[in-house]
Amino acid sequence: MKSSRREFLQSASAALIGLSVKGDRPIAGSFVNDAFPQGHRLRDYASFPAAKQTVKVPIVIIGGGIAGLSAAWRLQKKGFTDFVLLEMNDQAGGNSRWGENEITAYPWAAHYVPVPGPKAVYVRELFEDLEELKNGHWEERYLCFAPQERLFLYGRWQEGIEPAIGLNEKDREQFRRLEDKIHSFRATGKFTVPMELGLSESTAPLDQMSFADWLLEQRMDSRILNWYMNYCCRDDYGATIEETSAWAGIQYFASREPEEKGPLTWPEGNGWIVRRLLERVQKFVRTSEMVHRVLPSKTDVRVFSGETEYRAQFVIFAAPTFLAPYLVQDLPRLNDFEYSPWLTANLTLEHLPDSYGGDPTWDNVFMESPTLGYVDATHQSLRTHVDRTVWTFYWALAEGTPAQSRQQLLDRDWNYWKEAILRDLERVHSDIRQCVSRVDIMRMGHAMARPKVGAIFSSERRALTKSQGRILFANSDLSGFSIFEEAQYRGVVSADRALGLLGR
Amino acid sequence: MGILLFITVLLIAACGLIYELIAGTLASYLLGDSVLQFSTIIGCYLFAMGIGSALSRYIDRGLAYRFVWIELLLGVIGGFSSALLFLAFAYTQGFQLLMYALVVMIGVLVGLEIPLLMRIIRGRYHFRDVVAHVLTFDYLGALGASLLFPILLVPYLGLVRSAMLFGIVNVAVALWSTFLFAQQLAKANALRLVCLVTLCGLGIGFAEAKHITIAAEDNIYADEIIFARDTRYQHIVLTRFKDDIRLFLNSHLQFSSRDEYRYHEALIHPGLSAIPAPRRVLVLGGGDGLAVREILKYPQVESITLVDLDPEMTRLFSTHPMLTGLNQKSFLSPKVRIINADAFPWVDSNTDSFDFIVVDFPDPTNYSLGKLYTTAFYKAAARHLSAQGLMVVQSTSPMFARDSYWCIAETIKQAGLRTYPYHVYVPSFGEWGFVIGSNRDYEMPSTLPAGLRFVDLKNLPTLFQFPPDMAPLPMPPNRLNDQVLVRLYDQDWKDISH
Repeated sequence: MKSSRREFLQSASAALIGLSVKGDRPIAGSFVNDAFPQGHRLRDYASFPAAKQTVKVPIVIIGGGIAGLSAAWRLQKKGFTDFVLLEMNDQAGGNSRWGENEITAYPWAAHYVPVPGPKAVYVRELFEDLEELKNGHWEERYLCFAPQERLFLYGRWQEGIEPAIGLNEKDREQFRRLEDKIHSFRATGKFTVPMELGLSESTAPLDQMSFADWLLEQRMDSRILNWYMNYCCRDDYGATIEETSAWAGIQYFASREPEEKGPLTWPEGNGWIVRRLLERVQKFVRTSEMVHRVLPSKTDVRVFSGETEYRAQFVIFAAPTFLAPYLVQDLPRLNDFEYSPWLTANLTLEHLPDSYGGDPTWDNVFMESPTLGYVDATHQSLRTHVDRTVWTFYWALAEGTPAQSRQQLLDRDWNYWKEAILRDLERVHSDIRQCVSRVDIMRMGHAMARPKVGAIFSSERRALTKSQGRILFANSDLSGFSIFEEAQYRGVVSADRALGLLGR
Repeated sequence: MGILLFITVLLIAACGLIYELIAGTLASYLLGDSVLQFSTIIGCYLFAMGIGSALSRYIDRGLAYRFVWIELLLGVIGGFSSALLFLAFAYTQGFQLLMYALVVMIGVLVGLEIPLLMRIIRGRYHFRDVVAHVLTFDYLGALGASLLFPILLVPYLGLVRSAMLFGIVNVAVALWSTFLFAQQLAKANALRLVCLVTLCGLGIGFAEAKHITIAAEDNIYADEIIFARDTRYQHIVLTRFKDDIRLFLNSHLQFSSRDEYRYHEALIHPGLSAIPAPRRVLVLGGGDGLAVREILKYPQVESITLVDLDPEMTRLFSTHPMLTGLNQKSFLSPKVRIINADAFPWVDSNTDSFDFIVVDFPDPTNYSLGKLYTTAFYKAAARHLSAQGLMVVQSTSPMFARDSYWCIAETIKQAGLRTYPYHVYVPSFGEWGFVIGSNRDYEMPSTLPAGLRFVDLKNLPTLFQFPPDMAPLPMPPNRLNDQVLVRLYDQDWKDISH
C-alpha cells in the first residue's frame, strides 16, 4: 500500500507514453520445414536419378520419426548393427522435431508423453535407458512443472483444462456419468496403451459410430461437455467428435490410469527424446535421403534413395503409411487411412503480455477457439526469472475436410496465418502484438492419422500390422492414431519381427 | 516580427495546456479515479477560459502592459502550481479546493491572453489573417504540449519541475513581449526588472524541486523512504524511522535493522558452529550481506560464495554507506565472491563442494519462487555438501504458516537429508523457522563465536523445541510438478489475516 501512489504515477506516465510511442512490434518470420515439395514429387511420380551405387544391408528403416528411431534403438539394444535408417528431411524426429533460438529450445509438434502406465513396457524401458525412470521413480525435473494447464473461459482463467466453472447441474451430472462410463470401460482392460494389447472384438461396435453420436446416444448433450470432448479429440487426433470414431474417443480417456502428476515434458518437447535416441543411433541415420522407389522380390527388397540402391532383406517402413503406395511397387491404394492437417507456430516473445494473468503456465487453452492454444517452452526452465520466451501454438485444422484444409494450408501465405494466430491470441492477450517479435510457422498436410469411424477395426489396417512380406510397417498410424507410445511400440515390435525373420 | 509573434502564441498555448495536464495528472495520482479528475479539471479550465475571454472586453487601455502582467502572473501561479498542490496534499486538508482554485485562476488568465493579443496586433494585419494565424499557432502549441508532456516532461522532469519550466517559459514570454510591444509600453524597463526577478524565483524553484517532492512524500509515507528502485527483478524499497532501517522487496519486509541480528545469528550459528573445520561456505540468496557478516565471524572460513539474482541488490549493499554499516562491509571482504545468477540453474551446473550451505530465499509466494523449495532443488543443493557439510534453509514461520513450515521440512527430508528444525522469535517478523539438513547426524555446537547478541549455548537447545501450537504436522513434500507449498502458503496467510 505504501508505494501504491508512486506506482500509480509510474504506470500513469507509462500509459501516457504508451499511447504516444509504443506501437506494435514489427514481426519477422516465415514458413519453416515445408515437406510438401518432396511429397508432391512422389505423388506426381516425378522422375528420379538412376542409382549409381549399390549397398547391401540386411535391414533398411525408412523414416526417422519416433517409430523409425525406436526400431533403430531396439536393433542396437539387441546387438544388431547392420542396418541404415533413411530420413527424407535434413533433421530426424518427424513429428517430434524441435528448433532452438537464443532463448530456448522449443518443439515443432509433439511436446509431451503422459506418464506411461504399466502396460507400456517398451516406453518404460526407454525411459529407464534415458535415466528418466530410476528405481520406479520419475525424474522430477522432467515431469511438467506446476501449474500445468489452464483454460480461458467467460473472460477469466481457470486451473486445468476440463471446464470447472460455470457448470449447471445438468452439466455436472453428465460429467459424472461420463466419468463412471469411462471408469467401467477402463476396468474391462480393453482400452490400453499400446492399443494392440487390449483390442477386443467386443468393442468393435463402438468403432462403427462417431463419438458425437455415441455421446448423443448416452444423452450427453451438455454444450460444455461436448466442447471438452471436442477439444480432446482435436488435440489428440486433429479431428472433431463428429469425425472421430467413438472407440477412439473412449480410448483417449479409458486407456490411461489416473496417473502420477505429469506429463513428462521438456523445453524442446519430444525432441528431447529424439536427441537422446540420436545420441545412441546417430551412426545409422542418413538424413536428406528421400526414398523414391521400393521393389520387393522373393529374395530381397531394393530401396532406391537419391543415387543409391540399398539391397535389403527386410524394410521397416516407419514413414507415414499413406506414402507406401507411391513407393512400393504393386501395393494397392489405401482407403482407410486418413490424416489430419495441422499447423504449428513458434512465437518469440520479448516479454510476457501485461494481460498474461496468473502464474506462468505450461499449456494454455481458450474455450470457443478453433485452435488448441499455446505451450510455453521455458516452462520447464529451472530459472525463477524468465522474461523472453517462446510459445508453441497448436492448430489442428479439424473443421472441413482434410483435403480442403490442406489446400488452404498451401494457398494462404505466411501473413494470413500469422494474422490468424495473433487474432486468436488477441482474444485473450490484448497486447500480444507488443510482445511478439517473430512467428515461424510449420505446415503439415498429413500431420497425424485420423481415427475416423471404422478406422480401428479396418481390415486394411489390421492386415498391414501383420504383413507377411519383406516390408514391415511400423508407423504409429498402424494403430489408427498418432501418439508417441504407439509409434514407439510399432517401431520396437517391427525391429523384433525383422530380427526374428532374419533368424537372430 | 510576424513569425516571432506567432511563436509567442504557440508558447503560451503550450504553457496553458501543460498546467491543465499537470493538475489532471496530479489529481489522478494523489486521489485516483483519473476519469473523474481529468473530466472535472478540463471542464473547469475551459469554463474559466470562457470567463477570461468575457472579461477581456472590460480591458480598454494599456493592452500590452496588461498582457505582460498576465504572462507574469501565469508564470508564477502555473509554475508553482504543482509544488503547491503536492505540499497541500501532504500538509493540509484543502487539496481539492486549492486545485480547483488554481485551475480556475490559470483558466481565467489563459482566457484573457489570446483576445488581448489579437487586439494588440490587429492594427498590423488583416483581421482574417490575425484570426487564422493566431488560432493556428494556438492549436499547434497545444499539440506540441500534449506530446511533450507524456514523452519527455513526466518521465524526465517530473510534475514539479515541468510546471516550473513552463512557468519560466511564461515569464520569458512576458520579458520578450516588453521588447515586442516596446512602443506600446510606457514603463518597459520596470517591467523587465520584475520579469527578471520572477525568472530567478522560478529558476531556484526548478533547481530545488527535488526537495519539495521529498518533503511532500515524506509526509505521505509513514517512514522516510531512503531508497526506492525498480530493478529488472524486483522493487527494492528502503525506509528509515529514527534508527530503524527496513528493507522491502516487492512490498515484503526482509529485515528491520533493530532485530535482524536475531534472524541472522539464528540462521548461521546453530549450523556453522557445529561444523568442525568449515572452510568453504555457499550462500544462496542473502543479497543484503547480513548472513555473510555472521559467517565472517569464523576466521577458519576461507571462502564465501554468494549467489543472488539481482546485481542491483548486491551493488546497493556493497556501496550504500548506511547499508554497508549494517552488514559491516561484508561484501568487501576478500573472502567473498558474489555471483549474480538464478540460483537453481547455478546449483545445477556448478560442481564445487561446500561445508556449509545457507539457503535464504524469499518466501514461496508464487510458483516461480516455489521451485526453490522443491525436492529437486534440495537434491541439487545437497550434491554440493562436503562430508562434514550442513545446509540451513529459511523456512517461513512455523507459527503463522505452520503447514508451509512443516511442508518445507518434509521436502528436505524427501530429498534424502536428515532434518533438524528450529525456530526463533524475531519481533518484526514474529516466530520464524529454519531447518538444518544434513547427510550425517547433527550435534549442537559446544562453542560459538564471541560477541553474539542472541544465540548462546544456553538458549540454543530451546530453539529446537516446538511448543504444541507450532508442533510438527504431517505434510506432503513440495515437488516441481506438484507445488503443494505455494497453495499451503497462500492458505496459511489467508487464514491468519481473516
